[in-house]
Amino acid sequence: MTGSAGGSPEGPWTVELDAGEQPAALVGGKGHGLMALSAAGLRVPPGFVVTTAAYRRAVAGGLDRRIERRLAELPPQAPLDAVEEAAAEVRALLVAATEGHPATAAVADAFARLGERCGSGAGGPEGDEVCVAVRSSSAAEDAADRSFAGEHDTYLWVRGVDEVQRRVRECWASLFTARAIAYRAGGAAPAAGPDAAPDAAPDAMAVVVQQMVPARAAGVFMTLNPSNGDRSKVVVESVWGLGEPLVSGLVNPDRFTVDKVTGDVVRREVADKPTEAVRDPDAGRGVVTVAVDEDRRSAPSLDRDELAELTRLAKLLERRAGCPQDGEFAVAAGTAPRAVHLVQARPETVWSRRPIRRVATRTGMDAILATLTGATQVEKTARRPEREAT
Amino acid sequence: MPDRFPSPFEVATPPGAEGWERMYNWYHLFGDDRREADEQRFWFADRLHHPEVLHPYDEIQCECWWQSLGAFNTRIFAMPPAFGVDQRILNGRLYVTPVPAPPEDVAARAEEFGRRASHYYENWDAIYAEWKAKVTAKLDDIKAITFAPLPDLEPEATVFDHVGTSAGYRMIADFDRLVLTMYETYQYHFELLNLGYAAYLTFFGFCKNAFPDIPDQSISRMVGGLSVELYRPDDELKRLAKEAQRLGIDADVLAAGSAQELFATLERTDAGKEWLADWRRTSDPWFLINTDPGHPGGYHYFDTWLENQDLPLASVQEYVRRLQAGETIDRPTEQVLAERERISGEYRDLLAEDDRPAFDEMLGLARTVFVYIEEHVLYIEHWMWATFWGKSKELSRALAAMGAFDEPEDMFFLRRYEVAETIYGTVAGWSVGSPARGAEYWRPIVAERRRIYEALRAVEPPPALGPPPAQVTEPFTVMLWGITTDSVKEWLTSSDGGADGAVTLRGSAGSPGVVEGPVRIVRDVRDLDTVQQGDVLVCPATSPAWSPVFSRIAATVSDVGGIMSHAAIVCREYGLPAVVGTGNAVALLRDGQRVRVDGDTGVVAVISQDG
Repeated sequence: MTGSAGGSPEGPWTVELDAGEQPAALVGGKGHGLMALSAAGLRVPPGFVVTTAAYRRAVAGGLDRRIERRLAELPPQAPLDAVEEAAAEVRALLVAATEGHPATAAVADAFARLGERCGSGAGGPEGDEVCVAVRSSSAAEDAADRSFAGEHDTYLWVRGVDEVQRRVRECWASLFTARAIAYRAGGAAPAAGPDAAPDAAPDAMAVVVQQMVPARAAGVFMTLNPSNGDRSKVVVESVWGLGEPLVSGLVNPDRFTVDKVTGDVVRREVADKPTEAVRDPDAGRGVVTVAVDEDRRSAPSLDRDELAELTRLAKLLERRAGCPQDGEFAVAAGTAPRAVHLVQARPETVWSRRPIRRVATRTGMDAILATLTGATQVEKTARRPEREAT
Repeated sequence: MPDRFPSPFEVATPPGAEGWERMYNWYHLFGDDRREADEQRFWFADRLHHPEVLHPYDEIQCECWWQSLGAFNTRIFAMPPAFGVDQRILNGRLYVTPVPAPPEDVAARAEEFGRRASHYYENWDAIYAEWKAKVTAKLDDIKAITFAPLPDLEPEATVFDHVGTSAGYRMIADFDRLVLTMYETYQYHFELLNLGYAAYLTFFGFCKNAFPDIPDQSISRMVGGLSVELYRPDDELKRLAKEAQRLGIDADVLAAGSAQELFATLERTDAGKEWLADWRRTSDPWFLINTDPGHPGGYHYFDTWLENQDLPLASVQEYVRRLQAGETIDRPTEQVLAERERISGEYRDLLAEDDRPAFDEMLGLARTVFVYIEEHVLYIEHWMWATFWGKSKELSRALAAMGAFDEPEDMFFLRRYEVAETIYGTVAGWSVGSPARGAEYWRPIVAERRRIYEALRAVEPPPALGPPPAQVTEPFTVMLWGITTDSVKEWLTSSDGGADGAVTLRGSAGSPGVVEGPVRIVRDVRDLDTVQQGDVLVCPATSPAWSPVFSRIAATVSDVGGIMSHAAIVCREYGLPAVVGTGNAVALLRDGQRVRVDGDTGVVAVISQDG
């Protein structure tokens, strides 16, 4: 079902997440990933995407040129603070100038439909209003974008249509970070790594608006062990509350290594978790950091059933995508498996580009002799491998 | 933390055990004449095979494997890095140390091993078939031996059949045959065992290399599941339970307080007689099951099912109850095999494509040898030892009846050479028709040895002696005894007296899962009826005789054994967590303490002092 209540020749202005797979050029990388998850029958919180078509229409007719002109004032190799200043100016301009943009009504309609769909009380304390996460989903999303995650482009526990409208525009504005601008200007800021796309500065932004999972715990997973490339494992990191502090690298998560074949949790490293990010209980919206109760601090943030469900979802996802994946998840109140939701997924880019490591250096009697003479050290490999750095 | 275990020459003799050395053969003892060499070696208590103090007669158990394992490793197959496993007895306990081959010999030995072992691997199934024939022939041999008090007058047949020997001579010869036949089957035991382990370990190492965190259990699940005979004794009891139901005598079976009582009841009806005949047919060989907590057959004094038929009856009653409750009691063999194929297939798919042929080859060989690794226990440890001990007891009754000792059990406080001497003395007396020098001679010696035995039993021995190795790398030590660099460190720490009530034990992760429950310590299969639903079974080790208890317990913690131990295998099958090879759980835990058993990491933690 495509929920376009308006659109332009470039496409509909909003698309619901369960509308089947859509090109990243229209719904951005994040939106594309979520829609693929949903199309695969995986549990994704309901929501919609404000498409790049909506963005393009909003900045068309002059705003785009005004932005370009301001940026063009930056000399090549401009100092970073000058870039920062220009970026902030551009973002403020964009948020202000797009108020009442052509897709406003379409966004409001989509949000109202989401509210109906989630039923009363879904995600919100008031009982009549859905709370959502609003996340930017750039058309050229790749690994390089990750460093922005959790800073400029994600708003949690957003309540009410007015706040949604504003956050959507703020997400649009997050297209113009200092870094992206510096890059486009041929400046010094390098791409994040070898995996950055050649055009790391996307020229259009989609926005995902998704029902907020009231996360009891959340985190990230990878369908291989990133420390050694072992593809028989799913590695899960998790914290109490919302996953954002983990994604931003602000806290020490629990870490679980699960065997894909048998489902055994082969390693369980439980961290001390003094704080968690939760919805602001007073405002009923937004996020605050609170202290974790003493008895939960060093307790594992996921139980066996939740890990089992997460592993099942991760395996399905990987099989469907045909390559190793990483992603984010949230566990709502209630019990697994229903409580476990995927909130993001993308191809893993480091190990999956390498060939799978060869291990059969010897065969037949040579292999047996190697075992006996210690060339293959059973004990060393069999027991307690070194704890890897995370 | 101390950096070494006590020297064997510093370990004190327990009070009241002075003179214990005379109970064991001189070649088995530490001695000043070889102190210099023995003090430099690392010895660990072999609680896997010999968790208890040895009776002098039972020393033969150790001797059987000491010699045969050594000869096959050192002299026959030329295992490249490993000679045999040396033994010493200290304070009645067996300590062992693997002997490395000289490094300069390893290359030449590797070449020999390659030629010799290949022949066995290439012809494994045929050789194993021959092996079964050889061992069952030996079993028939010792079953045919009988010991009875010598007759006043030999039967006429001795004359008219021209037998040409006396019953006394035959008693001397039969004891030698009994010992030598047992000895011979131990040769066969190691004919295949270590080659089997080498192939299994190779597949194990390959998997650990390819998938660094792969659980040990996953590897054994890819390999195991094929051996039918290992589970046959338990399957026979299940079959008898179903038969009882079919014949409508299940109520009688459940009501019986003992086998004796049940047999008397069943004799009264046709259906009862039919079942009883079935029971008796089944008992040979399927009740030739030892009930020792450690290595089955390790000691003479644990009843076999055949000797104490209340034991198999208790299992049958358990199965009848489960049948009446509508449960399925059959082993899910097909499911196990289907799961084995699924697991193997999924891991295989995760390998680099070029590694898959090597995986197939190693897995194929591991599966071939694994049937032997699992099944030999039934042939040797159960059938042969159960028969050997049964015949030894027959001999002890005959000798006691002839006045050689006050009571049959006294014989087991004699070394086997002393038993041979006693037989000769007794036979000489019988032959010439004058009193033999017997009970009066042994009475004070046996009385002293009984006191010493109790004094030795009262003491918890050190888990190891001498300087520990920096790394435990010898593959058989790791695999068979479950001893690793970490566990040796753990022993050193706990010998430091670090535990002050907050006990945490470490062992091997035998079967996955985490559970909490009250401790139930069971040293002996006869105490299994104390186990309540949901208890955590804490024991020296388990054997097939313990099978019925697994449907009641929440988890198993054992002192000895690696991931291939009975407790680990059965817990995996029942889906129960198990931590095996903890070293001293029986000594450190107490009934009723609440513990958390983490079968994923191999840790047992006491969480409160009462349940």
